[in-house]
Amino acid sequence: MSVMKIGHVNLRVLDMEASRNHYENVLGLIVTDEDEDGNLYLKGWDEWEKYSVILTPSDQAGMDHIAYKVENDSDLDSYAKAIRDYGIEVEELAAGALVDCGRAIRFQLPSSHTMCLYAEKTFVGKATGDTNPAPWPIDVKGVGVHWLDHCLLICPLDPEKGVNTIAENATFLSKCLGFRLTEQALVGPDADVQAVAFLTVTNTPHDIAFVPGPTAGFHHASFFLSGWGDILKAADIMAMNEVKMDVMPTRHGITRGETIYFFDPSGNRNETFAGLGYLATPDMPVITWTEDQIPRGIFYHSGELNPAFTEVYT
Amino acid sequence: MTSRKYQITIIDTGEKYWCREGEHLLQGMLSLGKKGIPSGCHGGGCGVCKIQVQKGKGLYRNKSMSRAHISEKDELKNIVLACRTFPEGDIELTVVGGIKKSVMRSAGTFSFNYSTAKDK
Repeated sequence: MSVMKIGHVNLRVLDMEASRNHYENVLGLIVTDEDEDGNLYLKGWDEWEKYSVILTPSDQAGMDHIAYKVENDSDLDSYAKAIRDYGIEVEELAAGALVDCGRAIRFQLPSSHTMCLYAEKTFVGKATGDTNPAPWPIDVKGVGVHWLDHCLLICPLDPEKGVNTIAENATFLSKCLGFRLTEQALVGPDADVQAVAFLTVTNTPHDIAFVPGPTAGFHHASFFLSGWGDILKAADIMAMNEVKMDVMPTRHGITRGETIYFFDPSGNRNETFAGLGYLATPDMPVITWTEDQIPRGIFYHSGELNPAFTEVYT
Repeated sequence: MTSRKYQITIIDTGEKYWCREGEHLLQGMLSLGKKGIPSGCHGGGCGVCKIQVQKGKGLYRNKSMSRAHISEKDELKNIVLACRTFPEGDIELTVVGGIKKSVMRSAGTFSFNYSTAKDK
């Protein structure tokens, strides 16, 4: 029994036509479906399930839900029980309630974000196939991101009122769903407030992460690229398309990832994240960042936090 | 072909800048290196560039803005997001979002200055 990987993120968008152009032609995701409610389903060329991104037309930006895939159908029952025993309500969804997925469960993280677990989603295959594949598809569009890598969520933190939904999320995901803490930042006079938490279920540095804010929100969805050269080219393509970037190519201290941050046409932040960082096996010691070094952890080169990066979210 | 341009005044700072036809209020400001209105996502989603048009009501058009930040009542009061506001005449405005955001910053919004604040 295990949570295997991130499955998809459902983002709300204000302008579907502009969003479709951004995710399809700039990021290079492949549109696999569109439904009568106007939802658009997309996948990266290196992904094999039908979609990893759902765009939903809305009058507000932000994240509707995030979904992870479990290994076996029976895991859904085991996890539902574990989550209920932990004291969190679980809603059981029939097959098809998550489009093109088998049955699923839905619940809220302590931070109030909605998470789903599913075991099956329609298979469509990688764009390069699975027999003697080319290293990348020749007809890939735009930046050509490989896959949805992780999401970062903004979670309420107010230590003076005893509110820390970052730590609550991290504890819940570790105890109930088998996520493992890879990196954290500890702040406060006694360095005992977990203000940043990065967790994995695979061997990559993070499959989900939490940072603090005054209200729950969506900070970014990140898409994988191979390396630094791809990051430079991605930034060129974004500039050619007049995409609003808020962090130019640099490296994170936390995760060691190579990065660009930018916005979709509704203001939902995206990231292109390159490099595998490190191998996060279950026996890896947790990495801790001290409060004074958090800016270095976030932007390794400048060592300075950019107010727009930390305060702007949907 | 010459495009029209409009004069924008930020009443809070007294700064003036030009916005060309088809440019939103933030684009014009940033292209001139000015910083009076907070700049965020440029997509109408994050709400940091909230402004109120004081003079020039009706002399602009808006693209879609997140209802999480701009209500229908706000729109009636000419409270809009600068990144979704395209002027069609000279405009004078005040900043709404910037004040809110600086208050949030001192409250420790992802600022990690918790122990510093605590020591004071």
